[in-house]
Amino acid sequence: MIEIETQLQGQTVAKGKPMLAVEVIDGYYGELHVLHQVSLRVQPGEIVALFGPNGHGKSTLLKTICGLHQASSGAILFGGQEITRLPSHKIVELGISYIPEERHLFTDMTVMENLNMGAYNLRARKSRNRNLEFVFSIFPRLAERKEQMCSTLSGGESRMVAIARGLMSEPTLVLVDEPSIGLSPGLVAVVFESIEKINRERGITILLVEQEIRHALGMAQRIYLMKKGRILFERYASQVDVAEIEKAYF
Amino acid sequence: MDSLLNAIASGLISGSLYAAMALGLTIIYGVSRVFNFGHGIVAVMGGYFVWSLMQQAGVGLLPSILVSLLVMYLIGFLVFRYSINPLLKKPGWEISTVLFMLGAGILLENVLLQVYGPRVKSIPLFVQGSVKMGPVQINWHELILMGVVVIGILALNLFFKSTRTGQAMRSVSQSIPGAKVVGIDIERIFGLTFGLAFAVTGFSGILLGTKYYLNPHIGWEWMVKGFVIVAFGGLGSTLGAIYAAVILGVVEAIATLYLGAIWVWPIWFTMFLILLLLRPQGILGGRM
Repeated sequence: MIEIETQLQGQTVAKGKPMLAVEVIDGYYGELHVLHQVSLRVQPGEIVALFGPNGHGKSTLLKTICGLHQASSGAILFGGQEITRLPSHKIVELGISYIPEERHLFTDMTVMENLNMGAYNLRARKSRNRNLEFVFSIFPRLAERKEQMCSTLSGGESRMVAIARGLMSEPTLVLVDEPSIGLSPGLVAVVFESIEKINRERGITILLVEQEIRHALGMAQRIYLMKKGRILFERYASQVDVAEIEKAYF
Repeated sequence: MDSLLNAIASGLISGSLYAAMALGLTIIYGVSRVFNFGHGIVAVMGGYFVWSLMQQAGVGLLPSILVSLLVMYLIGFLVFRYSINPLLKKPGWEISTVLFMLGAGILLENVLLQVYGPRVKSIPLFVQGSVKMGPVQINWHELILMGVVVIGILALNLFFKSTRTGQAMRSVSQSIPGAKVVGIDIERIFGLTFGLAFAVTGFSGILLGTKYYLNPHIGWEWMVKGFVIVAFGGLGSTLGAIYAAVILGVVEAIATLYLGAIWVWPIWFTMFLILLLLRPQGILGGRM
């Protein structure tokens, strides 16, 4: 068993109630044990980055939080309420939005139809117009393409639709899975800027899985490092030694 | 020439009935990826309910249709809830759901046989008489059938495009993980889809039962036709099914005129197999 090193005990983590608390969860894909005793906390208003090599459980952790995957043991609390066994649609209604790396757009629908589907839950219906205005303000390109079929969009535009659709559900916590993957450096900057705006302008809390360590460190307040399905350590972003994290990737 | 025009007209009419019949099959497959091998018997049941209500209980045509659609909707919802849904949660559902629906179809066929006997039943024509348009003579009843199908298809299209539930069904058909991510309750949408598809299929059985006839076994012939149509048009594509039904309906009528009815299935299946080899995804292929 690897010792979890937490320099933050008694600091942020203990202060106030966490918005999201993952409490010692284990998770399996069939026979494969992918999450080992994982614990993680996110405070309201934070941007928390989750680093780690590919295939070491980061995406599975996000999917487990949003109900696409089930933990075999442990508990997940959102705003103090246990959500461990809730189906994904109930979790969306509570205010968690998952933006998948694979995007999972409705490709035979227009950009606008995809955004409308993002506002599927009844709570989000009411604030649909306000949210539309907001996502068009961070991605003006989508406003130009709103009548276009999603199957005809570029990779960068599809990513924007995925993020925008995730925001349409009126979330208070957004789980973003590798938003920069497959994008040109210019677009990576656009996407990161949008995530910062979401946090700054709307006060939406963000848990981000990302390979672009330097970029993500620039905006996150705290980070977790995950390897082989375990959390190795958590740090304040300001105290992070990039080399130390990169070492974990090899 | 006149007989060819008449054949085309009658092909369009049967084609529109086939379209109505195939829609339920392609809707269920498109949304849930379950292939309903009991599809034919669902259509037959819709027809029998109306026949029973009208001929045995003396209820009028429109109320009979409404009651039949409501019952079919409920049956579809319950079949999903208590048999398909549990199967979907287990590995191997692609085969187990097919086998279940096949078995349920045979069981229901035999229930119908016990209740109604093997003799042929017919639902009365909506109206008598015919109309002559140039060289083409069509029964009023058949014109009404075609109109009803066209209106029904437009209404379904409106439902899928503009209602919250219809949009959710299309979303689920295009990406189940995407649908989960936006907060759609997949099980609920599957259930509503089965209900809707059973009602649409039952309705097609009512229409077919007025133009042709009902007996407990005819469903299998309808299902084979429906299967060819949806595979031809592209599994899961509603528009593809409509095109395919009209094409195959007209081919059927022309083949019957020049070669005889015995040639219809050989020609259908030759076309079907050639299309499958050239374009395995069907005319339109893919999603709703």
